[in-house]
Parts: sequence; C-alpha cells; structure tokens
Amino acid sequence: MTTGILRPSRRAVLLGLAGTATAAGTGFAQRIAPPPTSPVTISFYNYNLATANIGAEATRELIAEFMAANPNIRVEGVPVASDQIAARVQADVVAGRIPDLAQIVFSDLDFIVSNFGVRPLEDLIPQDEWAAHTQGMVPAGLRLGMLNGRTYGLAYVFSTPVLFYNANLFRAAGLDPDAPPRTWAEVRTAALRIREATGKHGVYAEIFSSFDWLYQALVLSAGGRVLSEDRRRLTFGEPEAVAAVAMMRDLVRSGAHPRLNPAEVSDTMYSGNLGMLLTTSVYQRALLAAASGRFEVRAAAMPAFDERPARPTNSGSALVIMSRDPAKQRAAWELMKFATSRRGYTIITSKIGYLPLRLDIVDDPRYLGDWTRQNPLIRPNLAQLERLEPWQSLPGPNYRQIGRIETGALNEAVFGEGDPARVLREAQQRAQALMPR
Amino acid sequence: MANVLDLPARLGALPARRRRPLALRAPWLAPSLFLAPALGTLAVWIYWPLVETFRLSFYEWNLLPMAPQVFVGLENYQRLLELPELRQAAWNTLLYTVGLLPLTVALPLAVALATRDARGRAGAIYRALIFVPMMIAPVVVAVIWRWLLNPEHGVVNAIIRGVGLPAVRFLDDPGLALWSIVFITGWKLVGFSTLIFAAALTSIDRSLIEAARLDGATEGQIARLIYVPLVMPAIVLLGVLTVLHGAQWSFVYINVLTRGGPLQSTTNLYYLLWEYGFSSFAIGWSTAAGMLLFVVFGIAALFGVRLMNRSDARPR
Repeated sequence: MTTGILRPSRRAVLLGLAGTATAAGTGFAQRIAPPPTSPVTISFYNYNLATANIGAEATRELIAEFMAANPNIRVEGVPVASDQIAARVQADVVAGRIPDLAQIVFSDLDFIVSNFGVRPLEDLIPQDEWAAHTQGMVPAGLRLGMLNGRTYGLAYVFSTPVLFYNANLFRAAGLDPDAPPRTWAEVRTAALRIREATGKHGVYAEIFSSFDWLYQALVLSAGGRVLSEDRRRLTFGEPEAVAAVAMMRDLVRSGAHPRLNPAEVSDTMYSGNLGMLLTTSVYQRALLAAASGRFEVRAAAMPAFDERPARPTNSGSALVIMSRDPAKQRAAWELMKFATSRRGYTIITSKIGYLPLRLDIVDDPRYLGDWTRQNPLIRPNLAQLERLEPWQSLPGPNYRQIGRIETGALNEAVFGEGDPARVLREAQQRAQALMPR
Repeated sequence: MANVLDLPARLGALPARRRRPLALRAPWLAPSLFLAPALGTLAVWIYWPLVETFRLSFYEWNLLPMAPQVFVGLENYQRLLELPELRQAAWNTLLYTVGLLPLTVALPLAVALATRDARGRAGAIYRALIFVPMMIAPVVVAVIWRWLLNPEHGVVNAIIRGVGLPAVRFLDDPGLALWSIVFITGWKLVGFSTLIFAAALTSIDRSLIEAARLDGATEGQIARLIYVPLVMPAIVLLGVLTVLHGAQWSFVYINVLTRGGPLQSTTNLYYLLWEYGFSSFAIGWSTAAGMLLFVVFGIAALFGVRLMNRSDARPR
C-alpha cells in the first residue's frame, strides 16, 4: 500500500515542524512577559458569548470586571458556537489571525494542541505563579486540561452529569423523592413505575449527542473505556463498553426510556412529562425556571452500575493560550487567572450554572455561600468533582469522523435492531482505521 | 505641445494608411475581448476550483499553510464509499426525489390548472397565499414545523388526538420521518412551481381553447390534450430541477429537524457526505465528497439537459 509507505515520512515532517516550532519558541520567549505597563488588546474566543441563555450576559460581566481591574488590558470577546469553535480557530489561524485566548471544548483539545503550536502552560507560566494560582483548585479538575502529561488548557466552565428528577411524578408513582435511584437497576424500576402510574416518560439519558462526554462517563462507570489509556486504540466495542450500551438498550426495550427526538428532550422535561433526565448540570437554571410553581425539581448523582461507583466525566471547556506574543500571552494569562479566581467562579457558578473549580468558595459568604444555600441542587454535582474523570478528546486529523462513527454506532446499538456487540465491534474496527498510525 | 494634441489624429490615421483595419485582419479579436471577462470569471471561479478540488481529493490536509499536504491516493474515496450508511443514504436520496415529484410537479400543475381563471382580488390573494411559504427562511420553516408536529404539544397531534387517534411521532418514527421531511420540503416549493405553471398556462394562445370548446371538448379533455402538452417544457424543467436539487433542498430540514436520524432514516447523500466531509476542515474528505456528488449529479444533469432539449424541440 502506497499510503503505508508515506505514513512515516509524514510523521517525520510533522515532528520536524514541531521541533522548529519549539526551537523558535524557546529562542524567542521561554516565558510570558511581565505584567503590562502599556495597553495590550487580546481576543477571547468564547462560546458562552454565542449562546442565548447559557452565560452570554455573565461572560460579558466577567470580561468587564476584569478590564476594570486591569486598565492596561483590553479584551475583545469573539462569540463562536461550541460545536464550531475548533473549525473557527482553524480557519482564523489559516487566515493569519491567531486567537490570543480561546475557550476550547475538551473534545477538540487534542486537535488544537497538535495542530496549532499550542505551548504547555508549564513552559509559559513561571512556576511560582502557576503554583500560587492553582492552590486550592480541585486536583481532578486541573487534570482535565492535560494531554500526554502536560497542561495545555486550564479547566474553565464545565459540569458533571446530574440525574434531575421530577419529585411530583415520584410521589404520584409511590416513589420516595428523598431516596432517588442510585443504580441503573433502580433507575429502571423507578422509570417503569412512573410510566405505569402516571403515563409519563420514565428516564432519558442524554448520551446520544455529538459531544460524547456523557457516553464516555457511562462506559467508564461500567468498567470500560472508549479510548485506550495510551490513546492509540479505540475500545468502545470491547465487552465492558458494550455492557453499558446493552443496559441502555434494555432500558429502551423495556419502555423505561422513550425514543424521543434529541431536540425535544429538554422540552419534555420542562413540561413535566419526563420523570428523570441524566444531563449536564448547566440545565439547572432553565429547568428550575420552567418548573417553578408547577412541579418540584431535584437532583441526584449519576447512577452506578450496581456496586461499582459511577465514574462521572466533565463536559465543558478549557482556556487555551494561543498567542505567540509574550505580552499578549501575559494578558491572556491575567484574564485566565481572573476567570478561574474565587470571584470569577462565583460569577460563573451563580450566573451560568457551571461548577466552581475551587471548593473553598462554596460555603464562603463572601463568594457562593448565600447562593449555595438557595440552590442546594448543586451539592450532588459538587460531590462528583473529586472523582471526576477527564473527558477524552479523540486523536488525529480524523477525530470528528471517528466521533461520528462512534455516536452513529451508539444510536444503532441502543435504538436499532442489530446485535449491539456486533454493531459496536464493527464500528470500532472502521473507526480504528482512521486513527493516527 | 502641438504634436501631442495631434497624436490621436495621427494614431488613427497611421494604420489606415498603411494596413487594413485590425477588425478585418483579426476577426477573432473583438469577440474574444468581449468574451474575456466572462471566460476569465468562469475559469477563476468554476474551472480552477474544480481542478483544485479534484487534486486535493487525493490528499490529506487540514488547510494550514505550514502543515504538509500528504498524498493518500484513493484513500479518501475509499473511506467514503465504504461508509455503511452510504447505501441507505443513496436509497433515501431516491426516495426524497421520487417523493418530491408529486409536490413539485403534479400538485402545482393541478392547482395552476384549477385556478387558471382566478382573477381580480381573489386571484391576487390566492397567488400571495400560495407563494408565502417560498418567502419564509428555510430554518424558520423547519422550526415552525417542529412545533406543529411535536408529538406532545403540537397542533397537528392535538387534532389527531382530538378525533380519538393516538399521537403520531412524525419526526421520531424511522418509518415516517423521511416522508415528513419530504412533505415540509415540498410544502415550501409548491408556490414556486405553481407560479411557473401559471406563467406557462397564460402564455397559451386562448384561441386554441376556444376552438376546442367549439368542437365540443370537455374541460377535462382541454386540460389533458391542450394544456398539459403545451406546458410540457415547464413540466420537464421542474422535473429535472427536482431530480437534481431535491436532495439538496431537503438538507436544511434534515439538519435542523432530525440530523439524519432516527437511525439514519432521513439522511441522504448530501447530508451524509457533509457530516463526514465538512465538520472539520479535513480537506481530503470534503473534496472527495464534493467530487462524488459532482459525478453522480453531473450524470443526472446530463440526462436532464438532454430531456429538456428534446421537449423544447417538439413542434408547437
């Protein structure tokens, strides 16, 4: 095969490029510049700014507060939708407009780091500054922005999977809302009871989106992985991963889990027609607003597979410094520090609904104290923080196509007619051919 | 100074005295100059990109100037053609086309025939109404229909439940979703097609109809034997347009309403290749997908054009 012959040379070329990039980098600027004394303007690619109700306002507030405190730094927010941010960064780099700071969805991290000369924060940030800033941050959270042992992004806005449930439907079905299901077996029983007693839908797990973080959590919880530890082999067709999917298929076949149009799931929950919804904690605000005065919403941790504790992953994004100019790198780092400071996370958690990476602010009355008391739903989410597993980005230039095959097979295995083990196994083989060799 | 002012006159005079006019010596020159801008634009915007697309479809590249273009031979094509969803997508493309034809040709022709005599205010209102869907942005159309067809709160299902039938999952039922999208796509196009047919009908000489009436032809016979043959070019045109673009017209609705699901039941060639080719700037995937579509629909277009030429050539 000609392609086989060409592969090594391609890798050599890439390595060569990476080598020159590093050499140029070290020769030019080992570290970021000291704090600016003259005005600096940086661009900040941000997906919350591009949403209608997930934090555009709060992000503008965050940026405004930062600029007020740092008069020498001007931040230009660039709104880009979350599923387009990698392509936009790519297009702008091609056009010679390199973003200074970008909010990168974790699933795009490998692609961005491997292709756009992103330097690890360990190289950019003076050690003492890094240590001072990250002190008090949840260690599991800091690991999220790491790839091959180096930190390329600082976890910024992210959530964990939460099982929201409609307490009114629980009561109507004779279930105890104070004892929500802890395992998938219990979820199944509860969902079928709700269906029988109320005629409403039982449970929906939002694992079918093109962002595969929740699917990864489900597979991890069943003892499997979608990608091997060394990131070279896809494993979503292995028996443990198949077991997780087979459980979902059984939920669907039993009638506990409806076949809803993915676009209609949140509406169904908002309108009180769904008993339980496993999804991102970011929905909390919208859900509480929709339910207000009509039914009671509560939240529980992600269900486990029997005795094995669930292994929740994170959704969301990291902040990645892309600028090559030391002065702009410094300005970007200052903004990163503010956004992930106690004050920054107070805004992010209370006004958007993501998790704080700093647990010491949760009960502190100067920060989130009052808010937490009024919003106890965040507790199950926080409890999962300590055992958070990083959402793995798929590797190589074909990562999007691999992801498409993966979610296509998942849908087929859960909702289709074929044997799930065979469907996933075949998809894994096809996708493996697209992995970097 | 005087010499300079004389120059135009001298320039004009010189060749005339010594040689024949340029236009006679090189009769091709003036037409080529007139054609040059158009041909140049065509070359720069159509043919060069086509050649470049063809070339890049054999490479793996992410568009970055500093990244290497790696030659991978036919691998991009092989990957696309080996997609297990491809067969389903091709079959669905056929269903979309066949399903759209009644809505873009038969129904509009019937409407245009039935309302050809609507005049005055009623005619104007009717024409406005039938054309309204054409003017709404496709994404808005998609969202409106999602609300209307929602199984829990949608108006359509409220009516269905009202007459005692169970709710229909128009967009979530793998057996129905494709036809729902065909209907929405067609609904948006009925106005356009009706307009074309109405225009074709008005251009028919009234004396033919009057003569037929005098000979005792019924309205049905007039429609079948006079109107339909005479608007045949329009029928062929809309038929060909539907075959060539039907799958493309439904793209927006697939993207907004079902994303190709449930279980690939609504995907088609355009949507599938777009999903694999264009979600990232993987230039090899997307150019190979583009070339495949170009070839398949190029062949269809060839047949279409031949058909149109034949129908135009008919004696009137």
